[in-house]
Amino acid sequence: MEVPENNSRINRRKFLSTGVRASVLLGIGGAAALVADKATTGETVWQLDPAKCIQCGRCATNCVLTPSAVKCVHVYAMCGYCDLCGGYFKPETKTLTTGAENQLCPTNAVKRKFIEDPFFEYSIDEPLCIGCGKCVKGCGAFGNGSLQLQVRHNICVNCNQCAIARNCPSEAFSRVPLSQPYLLKQVTQEKPV
Amino acid sequence: MKSKIIIIISLSLLLAVVLFMAWDMFYNNPDDNVNPYAYDLKSLRSGDTTKILYEETGHFSPELSAIHGVDVDKSDRICICGDNGVEIFNPAGDRESGFPISGTAGSICVDEGGRIYLGMQDHVEIYDKTGKKLMQWTSCGKDAIITSIKVSGKDVYLADAGNKVVYHFDQRGNLLKKIGEKDPERRIPGFIVPSPYFDLGIGRKGELWVVNPGRHQFEKYDGAGDLISSWGESSMSMEGFCGCCNPSNFAMLSDGSFVTAEKGIERLKVYSPAGVFRCVVAGPDSFIEGTRGIDVAVDSKDRILVLDPEKKEVRIFTMKKPGN
Amino acid sequence: MKKILVLFILTIILTIQFLDAYSVQRFPKPEFESGYVQPETMQPSAHAGLLAVVDVIVLAIALALVTWLVLKKRSRIGVFGMSVLSLGYFGFYRHGCVCSIGAIQNMALAVFDNAYVIPLTVIAFFILPLVFTLFFGRTFCAGVCPFGAIQDLVSFKPQKLGVRLNTVLGLIPYIYLGLAVLYAATGTDFIICRYDPFVGIFRFDATFGMFIFTGTLLLSGIFIARPYCRFLCPYGVLLNWVSRYSWKHLTITPSTCIQCRLCEDSCPYDAIDMPVTDKNPESRSGRIRKMILICALIPMLMLLGGYTGSRMHETLAGVNGKVRLAKALLEPPSSTGKPELMEVTAFKSSGKPVAMVYSEASGILRQFYLGGWILGCFLGLVFGITIAYRMVTTYRTDYTPNKGTCFSCTRCVDFCPVDHHDNV
Repeated sequence: MEVPENNSRINRRKFLSTGVRASVLLGIGGAAALVADKATTGETVWQLDPAKCIQCGRCATNCVLTPSAVKCVHVYAMCGYCDLCGGYFKPETKTLTTGAENQLCPTNAVKRKFIEDPFFEYSIDEPLCIGCGKCVKGCGAFGNGSLQLQVRHNICVNCNQCAIARNCPSEAFSRVPLSQPYLLKQVTQEKPV
Repeated sequence: MKSKIIIIISLSLLLAVVLFMAWDMFYNNPDDNVNPYAYDLKSLRSGDTTKILYEETGHFSPELSAIHGVDVDKSDRICICGDNGVEIFNPAGDRESGFPISGTAGSICVDEGGRIYLGMQDHVEIYDKTGKKLMQWTSCGKDAIITSIKVSGKDVYLADAGNKVVYHFDQRGNLLKKIGEKDPERRIPGFIVPSPYFDLGIGRKGELWVVNPGRHQFEKYDGAGDLISSWGESSMSMEGFCGCCNPSNFAMLSDGSFVTAEKGIERLKVYSPAGVFRCVVAGPDSFIEGTRGIDVAVDSKDRILVLDPEKKEVRIFTMKKPGN
Repeated sequence: MKKILVLFILTIILTIQFLDAYSVQRFPKPEFESGYVQPETMQPSAHAGLLAVVDVIVLAIALALVTWLVLKKRSRIGVFGMSVLSLGYFGFYRHGCVCSIGAIQNMALAVFDNAYVIPLTVIAFFILPLVFTLFFGRTFCAGVCPFGAIQDLVSFKPQKLGVRLNTVLGLIPYIYLGLAVLYAATGTDFIICRYDPFVGIFRFDATFGMFIFTGTLLLSGIFIARPYCRFLCPYGVLLNWVSRYSWKHLTITPSTCIQCRLCEDSCPYDAIDMPVTDKNPESRSGRIRKMILICALIPMLMLLGGYTGSRMHETLAGVNGKVRLAKALLEPPSSTGKPELMEVTAFKSSGKPVAMVYSEASGILRQFYLGGWILGCFLGLVFGITIAYRMVTTYRTDYTPNKGTCFSCTRCVDFCPVDHHDNV
């Protein structure tokens, strides 16, 4: 092969390569521009909507973390402070004492504290809570629904695809903006006069 | 040779990984359909059917968009109140008349003279049976939620869930006294009303019975407003009351027994005048899950009239014949 | 105008009724007399806020550093050190989320789902390695990706697999990429994250099944270097394409190849192309015949692939939750002795009409029918091109890294006896 021909070939190849590179760069830029249109500078986190939750127990079993990043959260403002708390006591309980055998929670993570007759405060020991939702179901069935499941963001590692969301039977999980990371049912509205 | 075996083994491991992924994605039915932490409300709701001594013998549907309260007059006509109206039915359940009102009537009571008392959120309105407004009382305060009215002779008692107190009025609407406010000296514990269900009734001897729903108690007061006695047990079993505020409503049979209605585990039960569990009128199976605010009334033949706000029906329960 | 007025009044009436209904919900809380103060419900915020930006900065710096180490310093130790550092930061410290591999799915979802808002940081994670690769080769794989680093650490005795095996196994990532995009675009699932083998290690928190999965992969990785990167990684497919046109790529020799064959066995990834000299050049007619064959083969494969893909669309859609729910609802409850699916229970309690699920599911099925065609055509094209590459002989004189498959790990560099100073 003659040298000049070889040279021109290399040049042609180089030119082609540059052209392709430029178009690939354009392609990447184009893809970015396509989605950047609806991009957000903020981050999103996973959260579950207590209104859709059916307490199936998968929050406890499907999270990549053990124990789950989903915890029971107590909205005190909604609580009736009942003595016989449906979220605290097993249904067959005869005596309303804090004995472990009386407690509904599999890990005894719900704490009961006497306030004044006849009110008791219930709080969640979050490191013990596994997010199974048993108390949430009891509270919803017998009480005001002040116990609710929520993703705790100080624990959650914010997976790109939440493993619980994938398996949530009621599609209660969604990506929410980091600035408003909780979806608690709250009593905020005052009674109209 | 040795390296070939190693490659084959490694490759099969790799292929195993790939095949696992494919299998898991397309053919693996996850077996996590069983909740290891299930709270089985169903078994609680099913209960013992042998204790059901009543049966549903009829029902009828009022035309109101939402129904809240039921009562019977002295000739057993059935009066229903609800959103924007009142309807009156004959004992067989045929509609006799009705009239519109403005607003939501949460509770109803018909006195001896046939006048209809309606609890309108924070005040009482009185109508005759043609729908003519006879009187409107002043408001009991902005927090007031009147959940029950009973008329006994010249006395009118109102249960106010918002202010957690029972009012004793005369028939003109003058407040005579408040009953049941917390008073350690008179040993009155005070009403605990965690949600807007708070009922009262008049016993055979004219005594006042009030549900203290947060304590799952029936409390009996005399004419002076003193607490005489109480009964009731907090329990999730059949004999007791449970939940946030139960019983939510009650009525009294002619022998002084109580017919109680509960929410949470929807059920109707009968207790003796002394507060001993007697039998079940209707179990949770008879109601749509989540039904709240079941009202009850008893007519002169001891038929139990049940207002089912979810099914929007008035359902009539009578004692089963002993032979059945 | 009248209509608007009526609507307006209706809205007001409805609002009033709503407020009225709400007033039942709102109820005075217990009146405490002991001075008890109700605690606030704690709502701890996420720690990710600032770090997400930091992640992008770290990614950019790491990419630049590794590229410099690969192309300028040609230092294997340097690249290795960087890969360990990246493993520490992106893997163990940041728990492997979000990563560039998974970002493919976010991009696909963002393109096809208007409701999904993609964070800019995720776009950056997707774009940055691609841009660097376009200019400097797959330096991302060499020293930034924690997946690569962890596999590099266990590849004690890498074996040569041969061209044929490499080619066949190299097709798996295309299938994986195609499926990942299909499932992300239909909003079904992020399967790359679902079968992420290393995230369990990063979090020290793998389930037993996942532990076996990861263990098996790493075990095979002792002898097959970087099995995930070479034969699974969907992002590797994109990097491979882009890297072929890279501007400056790692070279084995710093100056001129002296054909000493010392580097021949140095690459654990079989990514060095041997010299092919034209001792027996093909005849012109033979080459033309091949070209015609290829031109006929590729469309045929595409059609075949597309048809097969569309035939499989129901199997493919079976992964989708909505489709599964619709299937379960269609099934009479008594036909199986098993308890009712939780999805069905949840659906029943939501009170939505069944017809809605059916229509949604049939819509998804249609998407999968189309997606099956596209996926099949894509795979047919890839298979065709792969066959074509195998048929056509490329002539080269020197030992060169394959720009597509080379991870720029710089292992081969140390084997080259040619000194940089020889290049005058």
